[in-house]
This record gives sequence, C-alpha cells and structure tokens, in this order.
Amino acid sequence: MVTADKLDELQMEPEAPELDLSWLNLDTEWGVSAELGRKGLTLQQINKSIYGEIPATSVDSSARPRGAAPPEGATPRMTPWVLGDATETFSDSAALLYDEAVSRQWSSATDIPWDTLDELPEDIERAMVQLCTSLTEVEFIAGDVPGKWLPRIAADHYESGLFLMSQVMDEARHTDVFRKRALANGGGLLLQGGGGGLRQILEAEDFTQMSSMLHILGEGFVQSLFRLGELIAHNEAEKRIFRLAAQDESRHVAYGVTHLKYTLEHEPEKAEEVHWTLDMFEDTLVDPDQANPGLAGALVYLLGDGDVDEGWRLFWHVRRKQVLEYLHRLDVAGLGGRLETGRLHPALAGALDEN
Amino acid sequence: MPDNDVIAAAKERLEQSGLPSTWLDIPVHWGVKAKEQATPENGGLRFQMLNVDVYGEVPDVWENNTEIPRGAVPDTRTEQMGYSIFNKAEVWSDLCAELYEDAIADRWNSSADIPWDSLEPIGADLERAVCQIATMMSEYGWTKAQTTGRWLQEISYGYIEVKLFLGTVVFDAARLFEVWRKRALANGGGMGRGGRNWKFLPLTQSYTFSEFVVASIMHDSMLLTLLRHGEQLAQTEAERQIYRLCEQDIERHLAYFVDHMRYLMLKEPVRREEIHRYMNKAEWYLAKDGDDTLYSALAVIMGDGREGAEEAMADVAELRREQIETYLGYLRQCHLADREDRLNEELRKWAGMVELEEEEKIPV
Ligand SMILES: [Fe+2]
Ligand SMILES: [Fe+2]
Repeated sequence: MVTADKLDELQMEPEAPELDLSWLNLDTEWGVSAELGRKGLTLQQINKSIYGEIPATSVDSSARPRGAAPPEGATPRMTPWVLGDATETFSDSAALLYDEAVSRQWSSATDIPWDTLDELPEDIERAMVQLCTSLTEVEFIAGDVPGKWLPRIAADHYESGLFLMSQVMDEARHTDVFRKRALANGGGLLLQGGGGGLRQILEAEDFTQMSSMLHILGEGFVQSLFRLGELIAHNEAEKRIFRLAAQDESRHVAYGVTHLKYTLEHEPEKAEEVHWTLDMFEDTLVDPDQANPGLAGALVYLLGDGDVDEGWRLFWHVRRKQVLEYLHRLDVAGLGGRLETGRLHPALAGALDEN
Repeated sequence: MPDNDVIAAAKERLEQSGLPSTWLDIPVHWGVKAKEQATPENGGLRFQMLNVDVYGEVPDVWENNTEIPRGAVPDTRTEQMGYSIFNKAEVWSDLCAELYEDAIADRWNSSADIPWDSLEPIGADLERAVCQIATMMSEYGWTKAQTTGRWLQEISYGYIEVKLFLGTVVFDAARLFEVWRKRALANGGGMGRGGRNWKFLPLTQSYTFSEFVVASIMHDSMLLTLLRHGEQLAQTEAERQIYRLCEQDIERHLAYFVDHMRYLMLKEPVRREEIHRYMNKAEWYLAKDGDDTLYSALAVIMGDGREGAEEAMADVAELRREQIETYLGYLRQCHLADREDRLNEELRKWAGMVELEEEEKIPV
C-alpha cells in the first residue's frame, strides 16, 4: 500500500488540462443583470429575458441548465426519460413557492418552545402521541414521493424541480417534528397507521394524478386540519408545531393547485383523468375498512379534550372545513363541479350538511 | 406509571361513541421525555435526543416494508410500500442525526444571505469565465439533487435518520443549483456551456446506495477542493460568500458519505472488491468525460484574462492534483487507503503520481 509519505516520494508534475477557450465565444443570451428586489435576488428576479422563458416541451434529458449552450461532443442520456411537456409538471407559482420555502425554513429543534410542554393527563398525552404517530407516518411518505419524481423533471423546467426539492426538506422536518412530539413528553409511539391512501400516492405513475392526490386532496386535508391546530393543541409547543407545519403545507397545496390549473389550461382533456383519480382517492380516504383505528379515535378524543361527544361535533366541523376548502381549491384549479354533479363522495358531501 | 383508571374511562367513552379504542391498549414505552434534554445550550430538542429506549434501537436488518415509524406497533393490514433497503450497513452512519440538525442550523438563503450588491463589472473574459463555472456548478447541483432524491423511496423507516439527512442534501443541492444560476444572471453575463455529463452517469446509474455514495465521494471531493479555492477565485464579496457557504454544505455531505463507507467497510469487509469496481467505473467516466471547459475557465480567472490563461494552467493543474488528493484522503478515512494503488491511470497523471507497473494495473 502507498502511504502518504511514499506518495510524496512518488510525486511527478501533475498533468495539465488542455486549454480550450471556445466557450468564450458562445452565442448564449448575454448582458443579463438581474436586479435586486425587496427580498434580495429571488428566482423571480432572475427569470428575465430568455432565461425566464419556459419551453412548452423540453427534449433535453441532461442536467444542462435552461439557456446554457449545448456541450461539444457526444453526450449521454442521463435518465431513461423525463417529463418533457410542461403540462406534466409545471406550475407558474413554483419559483415563488420555492423562494418562500427557502425564506421560511424553521428548525424543529429550536423554533418550537419545547419547555411549554407541561405534564398532560395520561389519556390526553396518549391521544396526542397516537395522533403524532400517524402524522409522522403520513409525512414520511409525503417526502418519499417528491424524491421519486425528481429524476423525471426536465432541467428546462427547473422551477418545479426546485419546488419538489424544497418539499423533500419540509417533509423531513414534519416527519421529524411529530416524532419529536411523540417522544418529548413521556408518551411514546403507538399504533401505526396514517390510514389508507398513502400507497396510492406513492404508486401513481402520472405526475398530475400523483399531485392531485398528494398536494390537493391529501395535503389539503392535512393543511385544513393543521390550521385548526388550536383545537387540538394543549400548549404553546403544539400550537407552534401545527402553525409552522400548516405554513409549509400551504405551499405544497398551492403548488398542486397551480400545477393542475396550468395543466388544465393547456390540456383540458386531462380533466376527466383527474376526476377519475379523485374518485378513487376520495373513496380510499373514507373507506372505513382502510381507516386507521388510532387516527380517528385520537383526533376525536383530542378535539373534545376527552369529551367524545364534543369531539365528534368538532370533528365534523373540521371535516366540513376540509371539504369546503378542497372544493374551493378544485374550483381555482379549474376542476369545479364535483359537488354539483354528484361526483364528490357521499361521505364527504354529507359532511357539508353538518353543523 | 400508566394510570389504569383514566385509560379505562377513556376507552369506555370511545366505545360508547362507536370509536375504536384499541390504540389505548398498546403497551407504551412510557416515560420517554426527550424535552428534558432540550436546553438552549444543547441546541434545543435535537433528533439524537429521541434515540432512547426502543426508539433508539436501530436493527441491523429492518423487517417492515411499510412506513411504520421505528418503535410503533404494526398494523398488519398496511400495504407494503416498495422500499428496497433493509440492511443497516448499506446506509448507516452514526453521524446522520447530528448532521441533519447541523444542516438545518446552518441553513442559508441565496436571495438574502449573499451580498449581491457587491457585484461589479469584472471585464468580459472574467465574467465569461465566472459564468462558465457557474453553469457547471448548477449542473452538478441539479444532478446531485435528482440522484440523491431518488434513494428516498428505497430506504425504510428503520433508518429514518439517514433519510432526514438526505432530505437536507437534496435541499442543499437545490441551493447549489440556484445560487450559481443567480450569479450567472446577475452581473451582465449569462449562462455558459453545459458539460458532457458522462461523468455523472455513475451517479444516475447506481444500483446500490453505496455505489452512489462512492461516486458522490469522488464528485464532492472534486467540488469541495474547488470551493476551498474560493478566496483565490472569487472576484467579489458575493462570490466569496457563495464559495464559503457551498463549501460548508459539501463538507457536511462528505462527512456522512465517508462515515457511511467507513461503517460499511467495517461491517461488510467482503464488499471491498465490489466497491472498488464502482470506483473504477466512477473514475473511468470522470477521466473519459474529457471536458476541460471547467479547467479552462479556471485558467482564465487565475490568469486574469485569456492572455494569462496558458501560463495559469500550471496552477490549474495543481488544483486538479489537489482534487485527486482530497478524494484519496477521504477514501483513506473510510478504510479504502488501498485505492491509491488502484487509482485510474488518467487520474494518476492528474495527480502527478508515478505510473503503475504493468502487472499492478487494474483492468477497467
Ligand atoms: Fe407535511
Ligand atoms: Fe406537505
């Protein structure tokens, strides 16, 4: 074996690379000076001139950044296929949502006032750690999914790629913060079960189908719930967890809504496919057979603070809000009418009659 | 201690209301109170503090193919999720939990944390060269995020710390991509020329995670060495800051990659030759990529313009030699010191190492 000392003895002059100055004369767009904005130099600021033009179709499966000149010589395919049509993955808001994600990162270690976790009655602590067990599980899949799709995003549509990268980070933090809550205050992890639907999101092989399940319906419901986190939380730490996580989920939901909007504007015939996906996913979400025994029970128990009747009343209040917001999001995306046409699952439509 | 009366009453109320109460029967590992360690001096509630009792037991083989949290009780009706990595040695490093929190504590924002107003005209050749380097940095950032991200769906919850840390790697790589794109488009320049990408194939094509890791050690070592020359290469305070912040991120990634390989070599020494094969491949692709654009751009910067580039090539060659040394240095840390004898011939020339005797050569 060659040791470091021996390596010194064996040293020769390093071979020099060949000087090639052809890149000094490229005809890429030149003279670009992005201007600083109120929030510094954001993606919005640099998406000017041809560098801000989103190709409707990208045929490039390499990592070449948008607007760069192609390399000289042969180049390989980087992945077997990328989603070249912008309608497959793009969202007009992706750049903005990424910028927001970067500026609104938080730390589950230091931004949650863990010292406000007082001793809770045992039944409440159990219900809370059961809810957190289910949530850390849901968040785990929510991070796997964007990871799976990253290699399929065309570099020309980098805004969507960056957004998904930020989502991977956000979901890592969510997986982590709910595990932290479960193990912070004397409880522990209880029964597995994020409920049905996780597998459907992971296994989808169409990006828009995946996104309507994950971003619009799944995370939409989660976001509506987190925004009502005050009803579940028993202390400042828990309130902060739900508030910060809800802020992150808002971005994920917004991406899904704006992506679907973009897709339907350019490819209206895709609407039926998305409806079909939502038929399937709504059905899965409300299927009692696939429901997790822990999740619903713990949620109702916490909402009523141990009073199960009151918990049920608030549960339907939450569910009603989830459904209303879901329908509103679909409207914004250009996929309205599920309620009016009787397509919304009866168990969800029924929630609108409550209260 | 669990208060049986309270729980019995809770169960009764749930059952009367038609709600399942079985989750209240689960034997809880009661009394885990990570909050007690979470003081400001300790850096708050860090993930490592959760690793007590059964929750900290990371098995050599994880048996469950669902998303069940480590330490929770299985619901046997849950569908399998398609994970493929159940072997601790394949992904593990004891450093992950701490590196994950470090990454979050060190987070930065390319919009606001770079003094962009320090940019000033630097002359046409230098601007072209900086933009060319920026283009290639972006390209690697993109590749790194994509190729790291795709492993998330393979790794089971048993090794949650690894996945959390990889999440930060993906996010750091996103920033590597965009901060350099911003630099290219901020100072009167534009994008340069894309690279040939052959050298990235060992990252995109890897079949095993550890194969991906050794290819990453090679690429990240090359990048880190370059970033460490930031003081010399930066034309403005903004660039100096970019180099510095990216360097901090890549050092963190290498800390994990190297510690993981060290762990793998200790746990599964039988895989040594297999790992060498992957390194043969990664190095071969790097050598044969044959794209000297990046080094030529460095020469223009070090030579203060195209006229000085030829002469500056000696300094660039020295930098490239350092890159290979950095790579070999990291391999030494993970019990792969024997790589020095087996390094790709072309890379040996880059490093100024004497040629191997004919019989010592490794066929590729
Ligand atoms: Fe989440
Ligand atoms: Fe989310």
